[in-house]
Amino acid sequence: MNYMNNENMLEVHNLKKYFNMGKKLFSKEPALLKAVDDVSFTIKKGETLGLVGESGCGKSTTARTIIRLHESTEGKIILDGVDISKLKESELKSHRKKMQMIFQDPYASLNSRMTVKDIISEPLLVHQIGSKHERMDIIENLLHKVGLKKEHATRYPHEFSGGQRQRIGIARALAVNPDFVICDEPISALDVSIQAQVVNMLQDLQEEMGLTYLFIAHDLSMVKYISNRMGVMYLGKLVEIADSEEVYKHPAHPYTKALLASVPFLDPQAAKPEEDILLDGDLPSPLNPPPGCRFASRCKYAMDICKKEEPLLKEIGTNHLAACHLL
Amino acid sequence: MNQEMKDDSILLKVNHLQTSFFTHFGEVKAVRDVDLTINKGEVVGVVGESGSGKSVTAMSILKLLQHPGKIISGNIIYKGQDLAQRSEKEMRKIRGNEISMIFQDPMTSLNPLITVGEQIMETIIEHQPLNKKQAKEKAINLLNMVKIPDAEKRMKDYPFEFSGGMRQRVMIAIALSCEPDLLIADEPTTALDVTTQSQILKLMKNLKGEFNTSIMLITHDLGVVADICSRIVVMYGGMIMEEGSVEDIFYRSKHPYTLGLLKSVPRPDMDQQSRLEPIKGTPPNLVNPPEGCPFAPRCDYAMKICTTTCPEHTYIQEGHRSMCWLLHEEAPKSDFLSEGDELYE
Ligand SMILES: Nc1ncnc2c1ncn2[C@@H]1O[C@H](COP(=O)(O)OP(=O)(O)OP(=O)(O)O)[C@@H](O)[C@H]1O
Ligand SMILES: Nc1ncnc2c1ncn2[C@@H]1O[C@H](COP(=O)(O)OP(=O)(O)OP(=O)(O)O)[C@@H](O)[C@H]1O
Ligand code: SF4
Ligand code: SF4
Ligand SMILES: [Mg+2]
Ligand SMILES: [Mg+2]
Repeated sequence: MNYMNNENMLEVHNLKKYFNMGKKLFSKEPALLKAVDDVSFTIKKGETLGLVGESGCGKSTTARTIIRLHESTEGKIILDGVDISKLKESELKSHRKKMQMIFQDPYASLNSRMTVKDIISEPLLVHQIGSKHERMDIIENLLHKVGLKKEHATRYPHEFSGGQRQRIGIARALAVNPDFVICDEPISALDVSIQAQVVNMLQDLQEEMGLTYLFIAHDLSMVKYISNRMGVMYLGKLVEIADSEEVYKHPAHPYTKALLASVPFLDPQAAKPEEDILLDGDLPSPLNPPPGCRFASRCKYAMDICKKEEPLLKEIGTNHLAACHLL
Repeated sequence: MNQEMKDDSILLKVNHLQTSFFTHFGEVKAVRDVDLTINKGEVVGVVGESGSGKSVTAMSILKLLQHPGKIISGNIIYKGQDLAQRSEKEMRKIRGNEISMIFQDPMTSLNPLITVGEQIMETIIEHQPLNKKQAKEKAINLLNMVKIPDAEKRMKDYPFEFSGGMRQRVMIAIALSCEPDLLIADEPTTALDVTTQSQILKLMKNLKGEFNTSIMLITHDLGVVADICSRIVVMYGGMIMEEGSVEDIFYRSKHPYTLGLLKSVPRPDMDQQSRLEPIKGTPPNLVNPPEGCPFAPRCDYAMKICTTTCPEHTYIQEGHRSMCWLLHEEAPKSDFLSEGDELYE
């Protein structure tokens, strides 16, 4: 495996994150919640990879494990050519700077007792960037970049609207001049007009600063619009990944098809997907999942082999991978 | 359609509704002169961003406003009687039997300490002359209808043992237990996954088909309204900006706010090269809202008159109205009038 592939900003190899949920009743084995189970993908420099899937499928856990808010159970995380998955905290610091995260909740993710200036300068202090004077310049510059004014620097988060708070979160993430930014539901809590403002800003910043994004969202049409490539997760597994257009036009995995068919179509007269693609039932529990394909309990194409053997992700077209025995 | 025929098909007619909250900071004018009609068997979508007055309109119709909220004026004619004049006791009867409501968060609307089955049965017994056994039977039927697998067994479960989508289906079952003529659903799918959302929407479509239930569906998701509504009401700043059939709104909108909403979301044919066109600025503060058109501070077409005087509604054609000065006969001709026609080609 070539770890020095300098086209890739991020390579994730066989990433696993299991949460130990204590012992199951009447069993010697621990109950394992396999939140992320053997997930691999790469993101090229300057690209955006979108990650979608139902609530609880492991999107945030993937993100948090990559940025090492969680310790991975197994797997490699290669950031710009360096395997950071096994680095100690002290060695990690210089690499952390390259990678930042924007969170969903612009209310909860900002410390309400800190001024905007303090919030944004926190990562600068951690990484010992600039003198006090230089830091002020950096902050003003950042505020300008995210469409806020320098007068805002001395205010507190509660004085801002949701969209403005998300801008503050973005300014903080960009303070250390990262190369790679993970956006975990950055717009879900915002009104549609404000969502569009933030998305446009993220795109401008990407162009200006050459950023690479991992973009997580519930809104599939927004993910398709903002991402070059798109990955679909189901119960801790990556079941399909391809160029966004390709995923939308030629979804291969039965789950991807069902997911896309559920998206309400914005054009009232456009052809509606056939009813029978729609999914019944709910996401099963990720605790000790059964062997075989995890989608089998909801898949209408499920065959005998699906319950026994796990389908592996394989190439089914140019840059198009999917994991299903049908393919 | 002539006037009399039309009246016969009207289920609910809200006239000049004004609702305010009297807070420490002043009067929050949440709903300002709203007119709204819901016909029998019709699904009407109410859209608009946060704070536009959608929920307060719904709560006013049901007279469920909490202190310090108050209906200032207007009437709410339901089957010919004015709900605004009804006592709380009479309203309670109407709420259980005729008009039902589903809220956004199914967890807060279910009692966590009582089994799902008992909660449904309780509502049934309160409003219908049925004994316990009959109520139980009916509850199981309802759960079957909303597609809860193993309904009889699941009756004994507590709400936390259900997923979010299942809890919302239970809420729908409760709302339907009295076979309401009108169902008011306030963001019923906002907290759910798209897969679960499509199941709930399908359920609501069936309702309309099977029982001719009228539905007022409140949402900020334009996709959802395009999917199941026949008519759309667009609200902003406590007022109705535009109203029309789904086609009127999506294919020939005549209001800058509606157009702004439509251009803020990625359309199916858009790629990364095309850009979203957000509405600039943020929604208004409804404490001492500005004179004139509420959208004026964010509107690219705002003229001098817009900031001083609120426009009236202009009818573009039967059933399609827009509250905007640009439609006034003396307004300068503007490219905006054809903009709505070009969004979806
Ligand atoms: N710290 C934790 N301890 C135990 N289980 C966890 C923890 N964090 C997440 N999980 C579980 O891991 C699974 C994946 O959760 P995750 O938050 O990654 O999902 P998600 O795809 O981000 O969902 P959402 O769309 O709701 O944000 C879920 O079953 C969740 O309950
Ligand atoms: N209990 C209350 N006290 C004071 N103001 C209130 C109260 N409830 C609602 N409001 C105000 O009334 C206005 C309209 O609120 P409403 O809840 O109807 O908005 P909405 O359109 O339903 O928005 P959302 O999409 O966020 O649910 C808002 O400005 C809101 O702040
Ligand atoms: S492997 Fe089998 S169960 Fe899984 S998605 Fe494919 S057909 Fe369905
Ligand atoms: S009335 Fe004026 S401000 Fe209001 S929407 Fe029309 S043009 Fe814009
Ligand atoms: Mg998440
Ligand atoms: Mg509301």
